[in-house]
Order: sequence, then structure tokens, then C-alpha cells
Amino acid sequence: MEEIYILGLLAVFLSIVIGFWALVKEEDDLHRILLTDLAEILALALIALVATDLAEALILPGLVVGISELMAISEVFLVREGLTRQPERMLHIEVMDSAPAILALALIGYGVLLSGFSGGAVAGIGVIFYFICKGHDERFAIFEVLSGYAWVMWIVAFFIFVLVPQYWFFGVLIAGAAILLKVAGKMSLVGTMRGGANV
Amino acid sequence: MSVEFFLGIAILVIGTAAAAFPRPKTYLTRLINLEIPAWGLLLIMLSFDETLALLTFIAVTAISTFVIVRVVERRGAA
Repeated sequence: MEEIYILGLLAVFLSIVIGFWALVKEEDDLHRILLTDLAEILALALIALVATDLAEALILPGLVVGISELMAISEVFLVREGLTRQPERMLHIEVMDSAPAILALALIGYGVLLSGFSGGAVAGIGVIFYFICKGHDERFAIFEVLSGYAWVMWIVAFFIFVLVPQYWFFGVLIAGAAILLKVAGKMSLVGTMRGGANV
Repeated sequence: MSVEFFLGIAILVIGTAAAAFPRPKTYLTRLINLEIPAWGLLLIMLSFDETLALLTFIAVTAISTFVIVRVVERRGAA
């Protein structure tokens, strides 16, 4: 077991050296952003080698920080390069008309079944996919309302934990549903990043 | 130790080399090559039974691919 761990660690460190060497030699900024994504994967591999529940607890916030960092950097890049106007011709292929409904339904159904943070992420992917392919005309004030209800559910769950600890399972279910709503709602906003009405 | 672990480590190293030095060197090639080390990481997570991390990683990778494709799309239009 010990040797295996050392072997894995050596391989990951080798990959990190390769990745950072490419990052140093790279001159194009967009290529650098792509290599940042590679560096994130390698960092996660390093954490995954811990191989206990601690690894999972560390990987989840790592992923959240990674995606928000990537989104922020890409926005900064777009503004700095002056690429703020819409492209005239966007990718549109036949599968984008036929697939979204059933795929979004499956992803949202599975996400609700999972519940919690991962469920929210999976359901959010379903909504993102639908919005990208089909476009969107919703008013996004409704997501704010949803977010408010999710906060109220969090606080109710917190009071259940503190005041009536014997009903902890009920509290866990409420908190899991609340974070599902919050994560899925926020992530679905990503699907509107291509532009459109009411954004 | 399991087969998945060794396969994952091998794919991680190979994929890193492929993503670091893609050929031909275009944005799309590098983006597609980035999926290879991600696969290696998924196999490593699978071998250690890190289900939650695995599922969330798949979901977040889909979003980050979308974000990058949006940037590349606008870069190509300019």
C-alpha cells in the first residue's frame, strides 16, 4: 500500500512538472487559461491520492473554487481583449434541437434523487444544457425568489438541529433539498451566458 | 492494488503530456486533449471509491468546458 502511494505521488509530480513547464513556455493567453485547467486537474489528482473521506471533503470545495476562478478569468480575458460583442454565427447542430428535452429531464430527475451539492450540480447541468440549446425567455427574478426560499430552508434545518436534535434526519433532508435548489438555480444562470433577452 | 489505479496514473501522465504539447496547436485540440488527464483522474477517484467527488467532477467539467468554448467562440469571431 505504501509503495503504491509513493508511485502515484511520483507520477502526479512528474505530470505537474510537465504541465508547469508547458505553462512557462506558453505565450498565448487563451492557451494559458486552458493550461490552468490542466493544473487544476493535477492538483485534484494530488488530493485524490489521500484516498479517504478527507479527500472527498477537500475535492468538493476545490472544484467550486476552480470553476468560479475559471469563469472570472475568462470574463477578465474577454473584457481585456475587447471581445464583448456577440459572434454572428453560433454553433447550432441538429442534435441541439432533438436532445435537450429528454436529456435535461433525465439529468434533473437524477439530480433530485441525489440531492445535496452533487445533486444540485447534476440538475444544474440539465438546466444549463436546456438553456444553451433551446434559448431562454424566462425572467430571472424567479431565481432570486428560489434562492430566498432555500435560505429559509437552511435556517429551519439549523433550528431543528439545535432545538430538537432527535429529529436530525428531518433537518438533513431539508438542508439537502435547500442546497439542491440553491446550486441548481445558480448554475442554471451559466446557461444564459451566451446572451439573450432578460439577462 | 486495483487495475483502475495503475490505468488512471498512466492515463494521467500520458494525457498531461498530450494537453501540454498538443499537435496541431489549436485551442480546440488542447481542449479535447484536456479530457484525457480528466479521465485519468476519474479512474484514480474510482479506484479509491470517491463517488461524490467523481460525480461532482463530471458535472463541473461540463460547465468549465462550456465556459472555455464560449471564450474560444468569441475569440474566433473577432
